Amino acid sequence: MGVKTKIVDFLDVRLGIRDILEQNLTKYLLPRNINVWYTLGAVLLTLFAIQFATGILLLIYYIPNTADAFASVQEIMNEVPFGWLIRTVHAVGANIIVLALLLHMLSVLFMASYKRPRELTWVAGFLILLLSLGMCLTGYLLPWSQLSFWATTVATESSSEIPLVGDAVVRFLRGGAMVGQPTLGRFFALHVMGFPLVFGPLVLFHLFCVRRAGVSRPPFGEDYRPSEPLPVFRHEEHPEGIPFFPNYMAKDAAVIAFFLALLFAIVFFAPGLFFPPAAFDPADPFVTPAGIKPEWYFLWAYQTLKVFPSEFLGLAVQGGMVTFLLFLPFIDRFRERRPAKRPVFVTCYVLGILLFVGLSIWGHYS
Amino acid sequence: MEESPISPSRRRFFLSILLAGIGAMLAAVALWPLWRYLSPPAGSGKEEKMAMARNLVPVGGAHFFQFNGHPAVLLQNSPGSFLAFSAVCTHLGCIIQWQPEKGEFLCPCHAGRFSSTGAVLAGPPPKPLESIPVTLSGDQVLVG
Repeated sequence: MGVKTKIVDFLDVRLGIRDILEQNLTKYLLPRNINVWYTLGAVLLTLFAIQFATGILLLIYYIPNTADAFASVQEIMNEVPFGWLIRTVHAVGANIIVLALLLHMLSVLFMASYKRPRELTWVAGFLILLLSLGMCLTGYLLPWSQLSFWATTVATESSSEIPLVGDAVVRFLRGGAMVGQPTLGRFFALHVMGFPLVFGPLVLFHLFCVRRAGVSRPPFGEDYRPSEPLPVFRHEEHPEGIPFFPNYMAKDAAVIAFFLALLFAIVFFAPGLFFPPAAFDPADPFVTPAGIKPEWYFLWAYQTLKVFPSEFLGLAVQGGMVTFLLFLPFIDRFRERRPAKRPVFVTCYVLGILLFVGLSIWGHYS
Repeated sequence: MEESPISPSRRRFFLSILLAGIGAMLAAVALWPLWRYLSPPAGSGKEEKMAMARNLVPVGGAHFFQFNGHPAVLLQNSPGSFLAFSAVCTHLGCIIQWQPEKGEFLCPCHAGRFSSTGAVLAGPPPKPLESIPVTLSGDQVLVG
């Protein structure tokens, strides 16, 4: 008897591990026509694990105070062995995560997988997206470069347009009148502890929802029909489907490998892609560099604020859009999931993507 | 010519070995930077030498300082007679204290006692304090 069998036997007697493995791997069947977009969840889990690991490693050398933060990041980049690798993977990884999150959200929207009975899966997923953007924003300040300082100044300043409480909100976000040590302290605490503490349970809840409700069948093919709403809970089974392991896991692994290749291609061949010149100068509260722009995923918001005649209107539109998307499953209650039979939705979907891309390009060149 | 078929178990064994090899290679590629990142910085490799003013240490007194990354102590037992030791107790690494009234060292962790020449007087330390060479040069004391 091999060592592997002995270990599995040991665990099986005590925990019934064979049954768990069968129910979740070999006997866990997924729709036969499942497509590559379904793998983005596994891609995101992998990327988040890398962010978590590299984040902990960066904490070893990073010093969260305004006097030492920039120098500590420079030390990580230039003196600590492979510090440049850890830090660049962390910084580039954040951008790849946002890309994967957007693709994941767009694919779920297109296939209408957010509909009943998966409303809670969507809400949890959307909150994960918002928290991820929050982690990007708070992480951006930590290197204490000119880019960090002024991007955070502009981002927090935009809240001042909220009627009545705007100035108080800005002061609260910054911990004072201007971006400074209190801002760095609270952003650091949020980035490494506050947000992750909420983020972890949310991801677990999202995964629980996915597993409990069952994977939705892609709304394609001639024999696809929208399911009737069920009055009681029922796990969606796919008796004719493919096993999660090894069939689907191989597909997961292939797409994960693709995203890792993209991540490391940027890290090794274009490490400066997400680092404009202002990222290499220490923060100077008395000198605003020219042309400070937010990261690419906030450019649409940046441009929206400029397009509207008042910043408050821009903020209200952004807030309205986010709220609409968060509660979309409770607004769009039609059963139909096939894109070809949802022309209004698909038109809005395409226009929405074009608007996002258009505003982002406009914001970049404005 | 007909090729002999490969049995599924041999094919599976070959694939397992191949996958394990690739996995081991990828693990090594990931772990090497991690090991280097976490390793403490290597010193210059040279033994440090320090110069201190003689009047820094009174007769019968001690002066603690950092030497090659560790706490060390310089004594002047009698006028012009200097001795230097590592200040790290040989028992469990606590830092010894000089007791001028007794003329000996005490380790506050487990009451180990060392003489002014570094020898063990009492307590659990298994060996004497590590000695550091001292030379005199004018009004300077050279340690190391």
